[in-house]
Amino acid sequence: MRILIIEDEKSLSESMAAYLSAQDYYCDIAEDYQAAAFKTEYNDYDCILLDITLPGGNGLKILEQLKDDKKSDGVLIISAKNSLDDKIKGLNLGADDYLSKPFHLSELSARIAAIIRRKKFDGNSILQFDCISIDTQQKTVTVENKLVELTKKEYELLLYFVSNKKRIISKEAIAEHLWGNDMAGNFDFIYTHIKNLRKKLMDAADIDFIKSVYGMGYKFTAS
Amino acid sequence: MKLLAKYNRVNIPITIATLLITGVGFYFIIRYVLVHQIDKDLRIEQQEIIHYINEKKSLPEASNYKDQQIQFQPANDGLFKTTFSTEHRYNSRENEVESFRKLQFLINVNGQNYIAIVKKSEQETEDIIQLILIITFSVIIFLLLILFIANRFLLAKIWQPFNHILEQLKQFNLSSTNKIIPRKTEIKEFKELNEAALLMSEKVSNDYESLKNFTENASHEIQTPLAIIKNKIELLLQSENLDKAEIQSIQILNDAASKLSRLNQSLLLLANIENRQFESTEKVNFSKIINQSIENFEELASIKKISIEKNIAEDVFIKVNDSLAEILASNIILNSIRHNVQDGKIKIGLNEKSMEVSNTGNEPNENTSDFFERFKKGSSSGDSLGLGLAIVKSICNTYGFAVSYFYKDGIHFVKVDFY
Repeated sequence: MRILIIEDEKSLSESMAAYLSAQDYYCDIAEDYQAAAFKTEYNDYDCILLDITLPGGNGLKILEQLKDDKKSDGVLIISAKNSLDDKIKGLNLGADDYLSKPFHLSELSARIAAIIRRKKFDGNSILQFDCISIDTQQKTVTVENKLVELTKKEYELLLYFVSNKKRIISKEAIAEHLWGNDMAGNFDFIYTHIKNLRKKLMDAADIDFIKSVYGMGYKFTAS
Repeated sequence: MKLLAKYNRVNIPITIATLLITGVGFYFIIRYVLVHQIDKDLRIEQQEIIHYINEKKSLPEASNYKDQQIQFQPANDGLFKTTFSTEHRYNSRENEVESFRKLQFLINVNGQNYIAIVKKSEQETEDIIQLILIITFSVIIFLLLILFIANRFLLAKIWQPFNHILEQLKQFNLSSTNKIIPRKTEIKEFKELNEAALLMSEKVSNDYESLKNFTENASHEIQTPLAIIKNKIELLLQSENLDKAEIQSIQILNDAASKLSRLNQSLLLLANIENRQFESTEKVNFSKIINQSIENFEELASIKKISIEKNIAEDVFIKVNDSLAEILASNIILNSIRHNVQDGKIKIGLNEKSMEVSNTGNEPNENTSDFFERFKKGSSSGDSLGLGLAIVKSICNTYGFAVSYFYKDGIHFVKVDFY
């Protein structure tokens, strides 16, 4: 999977590239408007991470250009401006999602995965991890061909884990993903969700997929 | 004390004193002039008597009229000097003291010395002086009357521009957009006051505006470095060979950075709301938004075994930006879960007029009147920033909703009135 990171802040684009490369994405970086325009024109990407405020031009123009060229690259807008205008404009211009800075890399990865899933949807909506299959269309989960009943949040949590498999995800990131900004910082609820999800998966497959890492976060892994 | 009262307190005694002093002065001057006139008349009389004696070589006849009397008394020697004097005499018939001006002088008729006494009544003079006093006092009374009327009716009108600008200053509010509009006036002092008030309000508004913009810009600028810090921490976390102490340090860093980032985003949201970047003319289905919000948090509530009782009217449309409507609903509902107790209850009601959320919870141990202020936290808020309700209030202010909170018998009530 090819991803283009359009971001003028070098340390930020490097972090994103480092995290995503470990997720088996191939990452390209463009640091200004000209480079971004060039790369989007001559390459096809599965997902483009687009910062709106770019040196040399407005990131929204890249979106317009993609639309004019009838390209189907997935686009995730990343902006430091939490402004509604940009969000609405971007989504109207065909962007798939919007993420405002600062964000968790695990959140970024989950969003990218969701975009690619939607774009690449060709009759196959099954996401496979070890013995776990997630039907993202039906929103059902089977483990070793046994249907596992999950609540809405447990399903979201599982999808989040699978999108960030084998990475350590902080509790913060999980809280923010499930409940939004307001609930982050309040982890009692997270423990309950993790406990329930872990139990349901263990009941089905007898494998503890969710590893706690020094109380800092969790890692979703088969072994 | 009113300025007018203070002014009158100085003005009226001075006016009365001035009038009294002039009255007294006037009295003495007139009196002096009139006495001088009488004295002149007496001298003429003296000349006539002397002339008569020189001609006739005998005393003229003594006379005794009411206003003029002439008497002669024999004198022993010729050493008497001419003197003027005033004499008061009680008139028993008219029961009053009569004053006379008296001239005494020495005359010699055929070697015999006499003292001639000529008296003239001062009655006329006194009448005039009395008249003057009456006029003076009438003027004082008339003046006071005029002052009273002027103060009562004219001055109220003159002070109108002042009262107008005062009222405008009282109603001046930074977060509202209405400006100070002074009333036109010809009075220089009030003109200056109006200009100063206008200038001040503009300056204050501009300062406030630039402060708000600064907050917004600063928040924006902070986002990128924060993003770098958070992402680097997350990457660091993925390293295989960290020991426990290192991971603990990373966790502390992560907590701090996350808190900072949430804080910044909340402040940015507040700044955006206050800068009215969420103007909306369309109506949104608030019933739908609330139901979605409840659905989103149902699981959260069930963890604490909190039961939610819904009483939500269908298709309640209110004029509000839909993102802010979501934030409004989720902040209030989340608050009712967060500050709830194990096995607690939440009631959520919505109709055309208002939204009401009540929940069980511990008694707040702080004054609840500033619950909607920034960074005010209740008792068991844990890691909350204390900005949730401030955001609720800010949204309500933007759309003219009234938001209220109270606590009674173990239940917290939050109510938003839409109209």
